[in-house]
Amino acid sequence: MIPTQWFLILSAILFAIGVCGVLTRKNGITIFMAIELMVNAVNLTFLAYARQFHQLHGLIFVFFVMAIAAAEAAVGLAIFISLFHHRETIDVDEANLMRW
Amino acid sequence: MIEYAVFFFFAAIAVIFALVVILHRNPVVGALSLVASFFALAVMYVLLDAPFLAALQVIVYAGAIMVLFLFVIMLLNLQKQAEEPTRPVQQFVGYAGSAAFGIALVYYLSKYVVLELPASPFVADARTVGVALFESYIFPFEMVSILLLAAIVGALVLSGRGVQTS
Amino acid sequence: MAEIDKVDVALSILKIAIVVGALLNVTPIMVWVERRGSALIQDRVGPNRVGPFGLFQSLADAAKFFLKEDIVPLGAHKWLYSLAPMFGLIPALTTIAVVPWGRPFPLRSGRIFEPIVADVNVGILLIFALASLSVYGIVTAGWASNNKYSLFGGIRSSAQMISYELAMTLAAISALMVAGSLRLTDVVWKQTGYFVLFDTIKIPAWNILSPAMWIPCIVFTVAAFAETNRLPFDFAEAEAELVAGYHTEYSSMKFALFFMSEYIAMATVSALITTLFLGGWDIPWYNEPATFLGFLLSAAAFTIKVGILMLIFVWVRWTIPRLKYDILMRVGWKVFLPLAVINILLVALFIAKEWI
Repeated sequence: MIPTQWFLILSAILFAIGVCGVLTRKNGITIFMAIELMVNAVNLTFLAYARQFHQLHGLIFVFFVMAIAAAEAAVGLAIFISLFHHRETIDVDEANLMRW
Repeated sequence: MIEYAVFFFFAAIAVIFALVVILHRNPVVGALSLVASFFALAVMYVLLDAPFLAALQVIVYAGAIMVLFLFVIMLLNLQKQAEEPTRPVQQFVGYAGSAAFGIALVYYLSKYVVLELPASPFVADARTVGVALFESYIFPFEMVSILLLAAIVGALVLSGRGVQTS
Repeated sequence: MAEIDKVDVALSILKIAIVVGALLNVTPIMVWVERRGSALIQDRVGPNRVGPFGLFQSLADAAKFFLKEDIVPLGAHKWLYSLAPMFGLIPALTTIAVVPWGRPFPLRSGRIFEPIVADVNVGILLIFALASLSVYGIVTAGWASNNKYSLFGGIRSSAQMISYELAMTLAAISALMVAGSLRLTDVVWKQTGYFVLFDTIKIPAWNILSPAMWIPCIVFTVAAFAETNRLPFDFAEAEAELVAGYHTEYSSMKFALFFMSEYIAMATVSALITTLFLGGWDIPWYNEPATFLGFLLSAAAFTIKVGILMLIFVWVRWTIPRLKYDILMRVGWKVFLPLAVINILLVALFIAKEWI
């Protein structure tokens, strides 16, 4: 049996890699992929704790997180497509109309 | 013994391909590496006694969401966007900050969170998940289906094909 | 963690060798069947020079694939260009791991030999998971070739594949509701019984023979055609339109891998259709005994059913013309998906009234 702590550490590493991706990349799609990585790290934490405490609530939550992440991916990519049609670039530094 | 080997191998795969996602220039290679990372995570879910969710992870994430990502990247021809680093200070702060965050998180997890192993194996097959979904979690289930409908309509409207006036 | 049982490992390796060996041999046989079958349907002769009835044509083709020059187009992404054929082959070869292909029988030492490589609780979900990974082979091949026709072929085909995956999944759910379990062995065991009509006539309880299952069988078969990119859904290749679609720029061994993965996917999907709807390894009106002979007979019955389905695949390919792409997508979303969903309600009604 693998200790729960190892899964939590793996999840923390993946989450930190996702945070790094969001903070450093300029390509909007890559930032979006780093966000999906963070969501998956959180899913792993939920499942590790669900197995630890023998409860199904963790699994049900992961189920809902997957469904909502799918919806978010669809709408987010639609936003990127319309951004691309207006500005011909997906660089998030160029989408700065609302910056001061 | 075999479990530990499988865990380390697939954990290494997940971490390495996650690093490729955030470090490689080309978003198509990044998307395919993310698929590999999701697949490794699905194996992790099997190790956590949740094979149903492992299959769902591959079907939903690796099989549908990432295909959508690849479509958008390929149709908009995004791999030709060259990324020149125009903000080196912010990038350095980003790398340093996330590295510090990761190291601190791993350190405190390994030092303070010690959970003893569960006593008996945990059964999380389709029947128990289905019963829980339709009994205790029926309201969130229905709300998520309405949310998915809203997402479909929103995506159609945003892409400009929502209303067909003929 | 239980210690590893060496006999179990040896038996698993034997089962994997049998199944993978059978699948890898499908390609040469199907190439011959396709070429002679298409010739029969088109009123011509087909290959008959290489050996009696052209039986060694596949060997000649294999020799050609080994000896041809491997051309990599300029500007193609080197890694992804070489990896794309493998992305197509891996799901085709691994989904057969959860399909039962014979009757379990006890060995002399008392251990039961189950002719299925991995009898997991969520068997059918693994098949859907791996089938949804087969999209990547086509998309990556189309993009990595640096050729706009390949890219169009790849994108159109992958959109078609993910649309028909939904209809396939929902049609399979009807078959699974009858069995009450996600395991394919349970699905086959439920079909080894009999329907008794008017208290006298015994019909084998295969899913295809029950009226609630006719629609899901048709939907699943059509979706299977779409998933394996066979005519009338072969936009990935589309010979008259897109040169050769996503594998235009591939030559020799990489093209051979695509070719193989198409036929192996066809065999896997036929195995799935027989397991879900045609009763798997069950021989009609005969209770196979739990012996080695019973196992051989059931494995032979399974192979015969899979063979008949693959002949139907070849037959349909050379009979029905290709649809237009927008009609195909419209039919996939607006006709097959609602039919599959409505049929789930119908099967639930049948189960509640105990007509199944």
